Amino acid sequence: MFLAFREIGRAKTRFGLLIAAIALLVFLILTQQALQTGLITSFIGAIERQSAPVLVYSVDGERTLQGSSITPDLEAGIARVPGVAHTGRIGQRTFTVAIDGRAQSDAAIIGYEHADLGAPQPLSAGRLPAAPGEAVGSEGDFRIGQKVAVLGSAGRPDLTVVGLARDAQIQVTPTLSVRWPDYVAAARATNPDAAAILPNVIGVRPDAGISDTQITARINAALPQADALTRSQAAADTPGVTAVTSSFDVIFLLFALVVPLVTGLFFLIITLQKSRALTLLRAIGAPSGVLVRALLVQVLIILGGGILVGTLLYAPLSQTKVGSLSLRFDPAAVLTWAVLLLVLGVASAFAAIARVLRIDPVEATTGEGGR
Amino acid sequence: MRLAIRELWRRPGRFVVATVILTLIALLLMFLGGLLDGLVAGSTGALRAQRGQLIVFSTTARNSLVRSRITPETRTQVDGVAGAVNVGGIGSVQLGSRVPGHGPRDLVPVVLMGYELAPRGLPATPPPAGEAFADSSLESQGVHRGTTVALGPARTPITIIGFVDDTRYLGQATLWGSLATWRATQSANRPGERVGPGVVQALVVRSAAPHAATPAAIDAATSGATTTLTIGQSIDALPGVSQQQTVFDQIIGVTVVIAIVVVALFFALITIERTALYGVLKALGASSSALFWGVLVQALIVTLIASAIGVVASLIVAAVIPPGTIPFVATPLRLISSIAFLVIAAVIGCAFSLRRVLRIDPASAIGGGQ
Amino acid sequence: MSITATELALQMTDVRKTFAVGDDVVVALDGVDLTVGHDEILALIGPSGSGKTTLCSIAGGLLTATEGSVVVGGQDISQYNARELTLFRRTAVGFVFQTVNLVPFLTARENLLVVDEIGPRTGARARDRADQLLEELGLSDRAKNLPAQLSGGQRQRVAIGRALMNEPALVLFDEPTSALDTELGDQVVHLIREEMKSRGKAAIIVTHDDRITHYADRIVRIVDGHVSGDTPAD
Repeated sequence: MFLAFREIGRAKTRFGLLIAAIALLVFLILTQQALQTGLITSFIGAIERQSAPVLVYSVDGERTLQGSSITPDLEAGIARVPGVAHTGRIGQRTFTVAIDGRAQSDAAIIGYEHADLGAPQPLSAGRLPAAPGEAVGSEGDFRIGQKVAVLGSAGRPDLTVVGLARDAQIQVTPTLSVRWPDYVAAARATNPDAAAILPNVIGVRPDAGISDTQITARINAALPQADALTRSQAAADTPGVTAVTSSFDVIFLLFALVVPLVTGLFFLIITLQKSRALTLLRAIGAPSGVLVRALLVQVLIILGGGILVGTLLYAPLSQTKVGSLSLRFDPAAVLTWAVLLLVLGVASAFAAIARVLRIDPVEATTGEGGR
Repeated sequence: MRLAIRELWRRPGRFVVATVILTLIALLLMFLGGLLDGLVAGSTGALRAQRGQLIVFSTTARNSLVRSRITPETRTQVDGVAGAVNVGGIGSVQLGSRVPGHGPRDLVPVVLMGYELAPRGLPATPPPAGEAFADSSLESQGVHRGTTVALGPARTPITIIGFVDDTRYLGQATLWGSLATWRATQSANRPGERVGPGVVQALVVRSAAPHAATPAAIDAATSGATTTLTIGQSIDALPGVSQQQTVFDQIIGVTVVIAIVVVALFFALITIERTALYGVLKALGASSSALFWGVLVQALIVTLIASAIGVVASLIVAAVIPPGTIPFVATPLRLISSIAFLVIAAVIGCAFSLRRVLRIDPASAIGGGQ
Repeated sequence: MSITATELALQMTDVRKTFAVGDDVVVALDGVDLTVGHDEILALIGPSGSGKTTLCSIAGGLLTATEGSVVVGGQDISQYNARELTLFRRTAVGFVFQTVNLVPFLTARENLLVVDEIGPRTGARARDRADQLLEELGLSDRAKNLPAQLSGGQRQRVAIGRALMNEPALVLFDEPTSALDTELGDQVVHLIREEMKSRGKAAIIVTHDDRITHYADRIVRIVDGHVSGDTPAD
């Protein structure tokens, strides 16, 4: 311990730089992790946090909410599948809106027919719409009491925000949930030529005693046009989720390689540089174990310091918003990465440890041990 | 310098680790770059293929093709602008297509584009109703000249009469037909998005040179009902393209930094190991600069070997991947820039060893140094 | 003068040491018999490659003899394994090496204390002893200096202090003056003699410098691995 601390104390710049480098890497990793979680939540949060346990898409929609379109025939067919207790229409479209009469922005509007089949849940504030023209907004994008005007070529239906839901965005866009007639009115206002406003998906609740997976299997078997998914499947299978996950995984893999690479080579270099001193210590009776322990203590101090500083840098950033993405401090991610980096870092010190164990104390008599 | 090359030749073993790590980094750089280029090309092809210079959206659409609606009245106003030489409508609808030979749930996502002004590679007169040209990446999906695909829930039949290269849009293959074909298909499959006669999503404008003043003139003529962008601006406005670019550029940046760190640490290690040898060489009269050049030459050779493996692998991957599956292209620009990044990383990385080489005291060779 | 075994700091009997170099076997020491009294200073002189450093390394437990017995301060170390030799070096002998003697990132005082730190710590006792040694060696005002801030002679004195920290039965000096000029070398050897004599410690000084041998009680010459001459110093 004495040796480890004294050396760090005497070479503050060198060890400080390494701590800074690792802190930076930890900060980048945690920030990327927060971005990834935020991005995926904003991409499919509205699907995960709506009340219908099963969603039926059209096969043609290829599992995107906006791409799917349910014809009246298909809708009737779903309701007839044995085991289906209730069905409700759900629609989604992106609109250009003006909030409180100010600047234009994009907003996704989700329309639902029945509150228990497609309304956001749970609410973080306020209540579900009860009267025409009321909406629940995604938290962070809207405030209760705001007036949102849908900018259409054939009218500007107004919506009033009466409730808020956390993590309820879809496609990384501020999202409003409204009752079905308000959704149809918004769609008609933007396209007066529309023939019929069809639902994008049908929310389904199975009879008591039938599980969500059982009912999806029954619907898919009965209707070749239908693509029934449980809520969690629908979220995970949305095209793009895998793409986002895998591109971030590449970044994480890179970072996870760099940290042990940097610490491993650093400690190998300083071990080589001080190998004469280490040889001397071995010659005057220091057991290898004492020297290896000193090395490991340094590795742990460097990694621990880097992780601590990196986490402290990330903490304030994790409370902010990036565009329409809300970031969040994720203790599980911090813990996971801390453990992973400590393990990888200690493992990477193996080369330096091997060098320490190879030291032959007799080299102190020849002045060798420099190599 | 000859000493450095001879060391590489006689003792390849000690450079293997650095070469392997750098090769992995080179592969990563070139693959990521190729993937990014492929993704961007696959998202923007339909816009890049336009022969017009400007695209006119309705203002409330916020530069989104699917949300944009241009009425015949607005179009007449645009036609009247002096700088607008040719004006053509354009429409798009994204649908699943059923290709003969595919399973009932195995759809190929396509975007049917209706056009008036022919993009590059297409005849000036759009094909008759129910017929379309297809992006050549669909050939790998079993689409041939004469194939009839069924689009969307209404199974609208479209017969393919030919192919056109590099026209993918938002990662999906495109079909190119007349505006009438587009309107009919959209109306049958997306009744909620049906458009009236003469309505299009956007206008492609061939502008008189110089183009700079034309967008403002168009938007003024429509009293602000339209927003006119250049092709480049509308590519940037495509959802996800700039985000994708940012994410990939960031990965590439991190990879280059890693390359610098690897080269720096590795050659620092080699220099430390060779301190005694350098002491002897300096005692024999070798200059610091000659020794540093030796280190640099070794780093460059290792980097170039790694780069060469990366280039060959990229070209093989690009040749082997069937079009339309993984979006990967190996452009000379990307490969050359990747090599340049690696060489810069090697030089910067080596520079960290320069101080160490300079500090070596020739007296250490005769046992004077501690 | 008859000396009993218990009074001996070192007793080497018929020691042989061979090294394998490639396919050849090099004999570094052959049939060496050597004794050092408990407060005797012995100069070991020989040309380069004669085996003097090997002899010193065996006496200090850095190498083991291929054959023969080695008894240091009453301990027979001939059959010790690596772990036992490490403990032996930490507790029973002191070393002053030719070149690298000090840990560069430790102060003079810490270089003495390191002897205590690498074994079971005694804490305050070691600190008192280090301060006392530094004072006796005239280094009290240099205690907080790093080796790079000390002169060659001062460094060598710190190394002597370090070698005395564990109160060894025998201190081994391997060419202690080779990195110093004549005057400084003279001072250092003078200091070694004073320190050893005042503490009643035995020492072996390995050297090829004939001029410093008059500080020794006895001179032993070694040539080609054989101890050939054993003369009292003048």
